[in-house]
Amino acid sequence: MLLNPELAGFITSPVMIIIGTRDDRNKPEIGRCVGSRVVPDTASVEVIISAWQWRRTVDNLLVNGQAAITFVRPSDYACYQVKGRARIRMATASDMDLSQAYIAAVTAALHEQGVLPAMSAVWLTNREAVVAQLSVETVSIKTPGQRAGTVLGVDHGFAAP
Amino acid sequence: MALRLRDLATCFEGVVPSIIATAAADGTPNISYLSHVVMIDDDHVGLSNQFFTQTSRNLCDNPQATILIVDGLRGAQVRLEASFVETVDHGPLFDTVATQLNASSAQVGMAGIMRLRGVDIFRVSRIELCPSPVQAPIEPVPDETWLSLCAALATAIADLREMEAIVDAALDGLCDRLGYESAFILLGDHTSRVLTTVGSRGYARSGIGSEVPFGEGIIGAAALDRRIVKVSDMSRVRRYSAAVEASSQDENRTKAVALPGRLDTLSQIAVPMVAAGGLQGILAVESRARLAFSSRDEAALTIIARHIATALALSEMLSREPQDIDKPPLLRTSSDKMFKVVHHTFDDSVFIDGEYMIKGVAGRLLLHMLELYRREGRTSFTNREIRLSKDLRLPDIKDNLETRLLLLRRRLEDKASPLQLRRIGRGRFSLEFSGVPLLERR
Repeated sequence: MLLNPELAGFITSPVMIIIGTRDDRNKPEIGRCVGSRVVPDTASVEVIISAWQWRRTVDNLLVNGQAAITFVRPSDYACYQVKGRARIRMATASDMDLSQAYIAAVTAALHEQGVLPAMSAVWLTNREAVVAQLSVETVSIKTPGQRAGTVLGVDHGFAAP
Repeated sequence: MALRLRDLATCFEGVVPSIIATAAADGTPNISYLSHVVMIDDDHVGLSNQFFTQTSRNLCDNPQATILIVDGLRGAQVRLEASFVETVDHGPLFDTVATQLNASSAQVGMAGIMRLRGVDIFRVSRIELCPSPVQAPIEPVPDETWLSLCAALATAIADLREMEAIVDAALDGLCDRLGYESAFILLGDHTSRVLTTVGSRGYARSGIGSEVPFGEGIIGAAALDRRIVKVSDMSRVRRYSAAVEASSQDENRTKAVALPGRLDTLSQIAVPMVAAGGLQGILAVESRARLAFSSRDEAALTIIARHIATALALSEMLSREPQDIDKPPLLRTSSDKMFKVVHHTFDDSVFIDGEYMIKGVAGRLLLHMLELYRREGRTSFTNREIRLSKDLRLPDIKDNLETRLLLLRRRLEDKASPLQLRRIGRGRFSLEFSGVPLLERR
């Protein structure tokens, strides 16, 4: 199971979420996400992105959908990255609620690490929010150290043991 | 106004981690956090590479990258479009990043984990501020570049210990790095109360050996008072300069070398070089522009002048203990051509083939060495034996022998004399001849 309960718990906790995409000339792009959830009974995650702040990221997702999403815990740099293909949809009211809760929780988590809310407010906006639903194909550890880059699982089209 | 990398100093402090995105040949993106991003120049940044092997693999196939850096003061996010150039795994840039990385890793409890593999260098083609829902202006650090240039020059000077190299590095740095048009350095002699030029840049004539008494003119006043003296419009003193220039052709008659100078100089600043409370000399900088030297220049030149003074004082002290020879003395050249060395005993002036070379203590020193050469056939000497020599009876050179030797060496070089003085190690030097000297006393 690619997204085991432990991993699912991690990526929906107050972690920083970064999404990598690329355009049709294979130029990479960076964007931040403001909220995530694991879609029950699938190997999919959903992340919320401000199309206002990260225009190129959303354009890339609309064109080719290839994405890498990194989840980092501010307190200890514990980090996982999932990769796969994503589809974009408009954000619903429940997505906006999720996003608001995420922004409040991660602002507090960052504040605990000494980052003032005035600073994190620059990064955390859900203006013109869209949702990217990513079918996870690989999961890897990105926490700094010897295991960084270790692939934890690959989805071969069936549920891994 | 378009952002430049130099305006983003607060993004390179590592307060908020930077991020790099790359893409594999098959289009799969990858994200990595970066512990250190350093600005190399206005077009290049260096990224510390510890673990991100996927990033490295991607860059081999596809050098395009996007880097997100964050202002550590207010949080503004800056997007850099960049392409990978090369990885360096040694050299000054690598060492600087490795030191920073070790220190900051220890701070976050990751000592030893973050071993630097290399510094990846990227050319930045586009800099963009990401939209922000709140105001987060980036304030450029004023004059950061200028201060860095001063620091680089101070570092270059502090790394040297030979007087000649210190003088050269300082003058080269002032003109090449800091962009001053012309500069010269004079060293002071507290016994004779005279300053003597030992090096210059930016003039047609070097002026090496030219003298200024303490208290005379801009330079002499700066030496006497140990304060910066500045003239911002020299047009009124031009006539005086013209007279000095005219007399420079006549040094064989006057036995005086004219100061380096240009007729069109409009601004001059004389900065005292002081170490341990003692005046070592004067740093003089000139410009053809009116009001060329601001308070910023005064501050920068004060820093540089103090570094020169400290390095020179230390060099003089180190020269007292001779070290092993690091350059073998050259044997006398095979030329049999004779050249005449005339010594005027009343003022210790020395002429070689009718050309005025030097006078005073430096003249006496040269004669002393030539006498030793005639009596013993010796060409190499140590500072210590000169200092202890009873024949010379020169109590006043104890504290600045290295300065006198530097002046003598520079002057012989400047005049392309058949007799040259060469430094062959710390506290050691040798005479070199192209021809056979004939000594005459008058």
